[in-house]
Amino acid sequence: MLGSLSNKIEACTAGPVTKEQASTFALIIARFISSCVADQIRLAPDKFISVCKRFKDQVLLLEEPLHGVAPMLTAIRKLQSSTEHLTTLHPEFLLLCLLAKCYRTGLSILEEDIFEVDQPRDLFLYCYYGGMICVGQKRFQKALELLHNVVTAPMSTINAIAVEAYKKYILVSLILHGQFSTSLPKYASSVAQRNLKNLCQPYVELANSYNNGKVADLETYVKANEEKFQSDNNLGLVKQVISSMYKRNIQRLTQTYLTLSLHDIANTVQLNSPKEAEMHVLQMIQDGEIYATINQKDGMVRFLEDPEQYKTCEMIERIDSSIQRLMTLSKKLTVMDELMSCDPLYLAKAGRERQRLDFDDFDTVPQKY
Amino acid sequence: MDFSVLNGALASKSFNRIADICDNLMLQVAAEGVAFQDEWPFAIHLLGHIYVDDINSARFLWKSIPAAIKESQPELVAAWKIGQKLWTRDYAGVYDAIRGFDWSQETQVLVASFSELYTKRMFGLLLSAYSTISIQDAAQFLGMSEDDATNYIRTFVLPVHAKCINLETLNKFGKDALRQGWTVDPVSQMLTVKKQAIVREQKLDPGKLQCLTEYVFHLEH
Repeated sequence: MLGSLSNKIEACTAGPVTKEQASTFALIIARFISSCVADQIRLAPDKFISVCKRFKDQVLLLEEPLHGVAPMLTAIRKLQSSTEHLTTLHPEFLLLCLLAKCYRTGLSILEEDIFEVDQPRDLFLYCYYGGMICVGQKRFQKALELLHNVVTAPMSTINAIAVEAYKKYILVSLILHGQFSTSLPKYASSVAQRNLKNLCQPYVELANSYNNGKVADLETYVKANEEKFQSDNNLGLVKQVISSMYKRNIQRLTQTYLTLSLHDIANTVQLNSPKEAEMHVLQMIQDGEIYATINQKDGMVRFLEDPEQYKTCEMIERIDSSIQRLMTLSKKLTVMDELMSCDPLYLAKAGRERQRLDFDDFDTVPQKY
Repeated sequence: MDFSVLNGALASKSFNRIADICDNLMLQVAAEGVAFQDEWPFAIHLLGHIYVDDINSARFLWKSIPAAIKESQPELVAAWKIGQKLWTRDYAGVYDAIRGFDWSQETQVLVASFSELYTKRMFGLLLSAYSTISIQDAAQFLGMSEDDATNYIRTFVLPVHAKCINLETLNKFGKDALRQGWTVDPVSQMLTVKKQAIVREQKLDPGKLQCLTEYVFHLEH
């Protein structure tokens, strides 16, 4: 059934197709995806994937990405052996979610931890699109994590996905942490270490300008480079970087002062009026970004400590579940480590390395006394 | 299209389920290739996202709605106006947007319930963010007019804006505020907010001890 469907689609979509034809195909494949048996399609995963990819093409041809979202999710569920398995269809699904603006639906698969990947490209695209979905939903922590996975993933040559991810990585890092360090962690590939910075120069300069803490300078810089950011489709994110600077500057004040007048806040943070400062502080309290109380009578703000005392049941549940997840992860690592230390390929290589590096084998330079 | 689940949720006032129900139904219907957009309850769908404070999703839904539908459904535009005010953090503007439209029968209950919830959220925000606040501002946060706010000092009971949808809740809130020990300074027209001690459950069940043992075991092996 799958084989014949695949062949037929192959034949029918080879040449130019009309919209009506595309629409009929899309419907047939959508129905096939929802009614097929998971065990059977897993016997011919390549055929199934190619059918699903054709399906995505048809839906995009119709300019109706929404039509493909639910079937693609079903297809993923049927194809994957467990939720830890990243299939080639994952990025396709996220792309459809982005185009159909169903960001919330996309989030559902991003919460699953991935341990198994078929193709490196799948992971790159999955993390890149996933990062964009999280940015849309303002889940910057998760977005940063996903984008971080792209820029630090092993790669032998630089690729466009990593470059675009690095641009967004810089911006999200500024929004979330108010700072950006240009040095990548040691485990990042040397290709990424060498090239990414040079390929994203305007963004690195933006981060430098951010570090100076002057809103006006940052705005001038953005204005001057607006076209570049616009052509990368990052202008919206860049604007969020600018407004995050007010927050960053207010947060800095909480480290120095216990109480401060709204007037002084407005002056140091470069806001127009005490009222505007009050609104900024209020928003930050609402979002849990600072702990403070506003005294309108005296026009003062009192900065407080984080009231969390880590002894409520809720908090203990959270800590508990984190510990459980970490334990599962550490068990997985042990299993992987064992598997790898039995792998003949690894052993052959490690054996050779050891021989070369073994201390006893070295002819040490005679030391002079 | 089968709206029975949605109608059920509306009837039983399970408003926090509406966004999920609508999202799923929309994906299903779209996958079947049905041209659903002309009869889709976009206003309710949008309000469903707003109700659970998911303004991002509300915004993306609004962006995905075809212009022709936006033009033909004034209620949808009115619903998005609430979303817009929430997006720009125009706290008082939210109430104006709620009051500024004559809601249809189906949406009325949902909007009224949101308004009630929003007042509650705002009251919570006032409580956590202010130690003193002018009556004028407090009135705005809670969706009342300034006149009513000045009356508030004289009578010590919160009168309510005539056009407000949820008269009872607001009235209750006013009284609650005083009962919870807020005081009014008649000279400066300032309210002094009294913080509430929030009681949280701190007792643990003995089962946690078992977990701890397992953790230690894991660390040692």
